[in-house]
Amino acid sequence: MGDTAALLFSVLMDTLGYWWVMIPTIFLGLIVGGIPGFSAANTIIILMPLTLAMDLQMGLVFMVTLYCAARMGAGIPAILVNIPGTAGAAATPLDGYPMTKQGRGQQALSISFVSSAIGGLLTTIIALAAMPLLARVGFYMHAVEMIVVMLFGISLIASIAAQDMIKGLIAGFLGLMIGSIGTDVVYATPRGTMGFLELYDGVPLIPALVGLFAVSEAFIIIEKKVILSKKGQEAMENPSWAATFEGVREALVRWKHIVWTSIIGLVIGVIPGAGASIASFVAYQQSRTFSKTPEKYGTGHIEGLIAPESANNGVTSGTLVPLLVLGIPGGATAAIMLVVMQYHGVSFGPSLFQRQPEVGYGMFMAMAVSYLLMMLTIIPLSRYMSRVTTVPTIYLAPMIISFTLVGAFVPREYMFDMYLALAFGVLGYIARRTGYHVAAILIGVILGPLLETYFLRALKKSEGDITVLFSSTIGNILWVALVVSLILPAVFDRRRKRKELVTP
Amino acid sequence: MKIDPDRPPRHLGGELIIPALAVVFTLYFFSTIWNSPWTAQVSAFSLGGVLLLLCVIFFAKALGMVAKGEGSLTFGNVVTYEDLRTGRLGLIVTTVGYCWLIDDLGFTLATFLFLWLSMLVLSRFRGVGRVTLTSAIMALGGWAIFIWAFDTRFPRGWFEATMEAVLKNG
Repeated sequence: MGDTAALLFSVLMDTLGYWWVMIPTIFLGLIVGGIPGFSAANTIIILMPLTLAMDLQMGLVFMVTLYCAARMGAGIPAILVNIPGTAGAAATPLDGYPMTKQGRGQQALSISFVSSAIGGLLTTIIALAAMPLLARVGFYMHAVEMIVVMLFGISLIASIAAQDMIKGLIAGFLGLMIGSIGTDVVYATPRGTMGFLELYDGVPLIPALVGLFAVSEAFIIIEKKVILSKKGQEAMENPSWAATFEGVREALVRWKHIVWTSIIGLVIGVIPGAGASIASFVAYQQSRTFSKTPEKYGTGHIEGLIAPESANNGVTSGTLVPLLVLGIPGGATAAIMLVVMQYHGVSFGPSLFQRQPEVGYGMFMAMAVSYLLMMLTIIPLSRYMSRVTTVPTIYLAPMIISFTLVGAFVPREYMFDMYLALAFGVLGYIARRTGYHVAAILIGVILGPLLETYFLRALKKSEGDITVLFSSTIGNILWVALVVSLILPAVFDRRRKRKELVTP
Repeated sequence: MKIDPDRPPRHLGGELIIPALAVVFTLYFFSTIWNSPWTAQVSAFSLGGVLLLLCVIFFAKALGMVAKGEGSLTFGNVVTYEDLRTGRLGLIVTTVGYCWLIDDLGFTLATFLFLWLSMLVLSRFRGVGRVTLTSAIMALGGWAIFIWAFDTRFPRGWFEATMEAVLKNG
């Protein structure tokens, strides 16, 4: 115990010594996270020669910091201009953007930064302490259990649909159908591709995200001079530090909410392939389910912003657990880290913490230190970042379109993806103008192919027996939890209405 | 049937666009998997079946509303005079042009032209100097960050090629 403590202290000191690498990397991460198409994974690949030239510890510090900062950065445009930087931040604008329109963008940014940093820091500590236990989560999560986890995310469509049930469900199921485009996972039969070879791998997420959120939003915002409401403009006329501190305080008083939603992110992050988008949707849905004021979600509710932000940062530490303990990367960025670490001769598995403990603990320490540094460096910037919302839309809309459309091109380098983003933009524009929720369509596009993959895997294993979905203990517990989480809001709602009748 | 003057009729024509697209797309999707193995069909048929059912319910509901005078089959919520007044149609045209030209002109030049033209359209051709300066700064800034500094594989044209040659040869 004493040896481990001494080792951790020594690793902490070494990591702090790299502050000069971490601070510029934080700003780089915020930029690449904020622009759709420029994920941390892409940036690490672009800077791979630089990373390989660094010594192992510096390279790890650089990659981990970039990873965390990009995750946090993705929330900034989601809050300020309704454009999530990555799919992991797709649930953030549901409540973040309405806050901005009310002139509370500065508070929203502070809330997002605090919940991201605390959520990330806390889950890093939990992951460090409970690594052997968490690593086993991946072993217990098979196709059936994953189907139920996906359904937790998809059930958010039902929440979104609450205002107009049929339209919400049509949007969600259309998204699921669009997500089914591509070759089937068993025989590679092309389905719904309209003859485009570029769609054989399925609908790429970034063009869908860019089109549904950014392009359609740009076509909408030009109706006003600035994106803020009149009240919002008045609030933004005299930005002050008080608004930043108000946001920090509002997040801190909801520390319990940060804790449990970030743990949802950690557990989902541990499951290889699950990722931040599922975690943020599940966390948002669960937050709404157990809220005393579910009707406020979607109107600029603080808990609705905290849940996805702390969950998607909880995922960052979760993805490192299977990487370090089992050598299985939990996501794209973790896979690239694996390549860099293997280049430096690092061997993964339980022996890593015996042979090279400074590497295993060093990654978590780098994550913890980067979250602390981010809190100190980014929160003061929220006052200035929120000024973006005062830029006239005649400048803002064309900038959004040009940079996000090129962002759609970057991941695969197909011109086709720019046209695809434009097509999604038109779909998103029609959806917004006619009362269909673009987030419901996006949830379908993200989760549709994953759900199909796990569904087929379960059916193949059981030779087509559908009852396999209820064949595992953990799966059945999750089914019960899913049903309870769908029924509870109605029960709470009825109880609340009864109370209102009793005490008018 | 009396129409409530406080609640204007809904433009159901616009609201039916997405369900109509969904029906067309789902039927097309079914046609591509009709003779496929069951693994390619099972998910799409179940999801598509639910989607078709939802669309049929919505069509029936919309027709009912039209019959009661609560809605009309118009598109006033999608296409309006505002599209011309705000320059939205112009922005759509310049955006399509941007996608079309960027492969030939390269990122920097195409972005400058797109920003310049669309900002002018949206500002009704006022403040030409400011618009030109903003467009130039944004396009050159994008080139400096994404192409010069990070060497990302953005679409490249003669500007990028010229700058590369200039920077290489000092």
